[in-house]
Amino acid sequence: QSSKQSQGIQTLLEAEKEAAKTVQQARQYRVQKLKDARADAEKEIEEYRKAKDAEYKTFESRHADDTSDTQSAVDKETDAKLAQIAESYKNNKDAVVKKLLDRVVLVKPELHRNLKKAS
Amino acid sequence: MASRPLNDDEVVSEMNKMVAFIKQEALEKAREIRIKADEEFAIEKAKLVKQESTAIDAQFEKKKKGAEIALKIKQSTQTNKSRLRLLQAREQYLQDLFSTARDQISVLSKDEGRYLQLLEGVIVQGLLQLLEPSATVYSRPKDLELAKKAAANASKQYKEISGKDVEVSVEATLQDDSAGGVKLRSGTGRITIDNTLDERLRLLEDRMLPEIRHDIFGINENRKFYA
Repeated sequence: QSSKQSQGIQTLLEAEKEAAKTVQQARQYRVQKLKDARADAEKEIEEYRKAKDAEYKTFESRHADDTSDTQSAVDKETDAKLAQIAESYKNNKDAVVKKLLDRVVLVKPELHRNLKKAS
Repeated sequence: MASRPLNDDEVVSEMNKMVAFIKQEALEKAREIRIKADEEFAIEKAKLVKQESTAIDAQFEKKKKGAEIALKIKQSTQTNKSRLRLLQAREQYLQDLFSTARDQISVLSKDEGRYLQLLEGVIVQGLLQLLEPSATVYSRPKDLELAKKAAANASKQYKEISGKDVEVSVEATLQDDSAGGVKLRSGTGRITIDNTLDERLRLLEDRMLPEIRHDIFGINENRKFYA
């Protein structure tokens, strides 16, 4: 009689043990899943970063071209203006020198405007 | 519930039911844990990704903005350099103009008749600035005779214009290599006037700049206000 009872209790204890194992496995699964979350996230983030870096590179190279274009445009314009100035100077220099010299010798003596001629 | 004790078969059957129950409960609990784990996994992953992506985006924008500002600075520098080149060129031409003029003023004293008139003019002008009863005129040594004549005429003109008398003496203390003209000094020695041709040219260079700019380089399109 008592051996049959202890056998029954044994069976129940084993069933409990198995049950605990099942639950424990589930808990381990949970822990692992949380680690996976971090690892997967890292991977996705890395891919995103690479994509953004590539985007920036194209943006950068486009602007580098812009800069050298503007530089040569500015230089061209400057050179044209310099040529214009040189031409203008050549054409007008003599006239202006003459103007200067004429006024050097042009004298107009005047009495100070606050004074009247003393009689 | 049976009121009598169970027989063997019934015991076995009850046993199996209990074992099955325990097993079933465990499975259900495990299932719940797993489902929850999957949910939390998805949430956590999304949160991490979003966090970092936002940070990366912010960095990216900052970099872009920095690059744009650098670009603007570069363009502004280019424009500035260009302007400086133009201004330097104009300044050089101006200096060339003035030195040409300076070289040429020495011929002005060659024509004696006109030079005499010029000397008279500048002496009168000087006297009218001094407004003193006596004055000394300083000329170049080679002009001394001419200057004395001019001074005599000048004091007559001075009387004409101002009604005042003046006593003028002439000394030859200027350098011979100056272009000509005279300096004057009041009798008391307190006032001096430089009316030499060099000085007159220098003053003109300064005062005529707007006009010279206009004549040589054209009008300034950026200018809005004129006196």
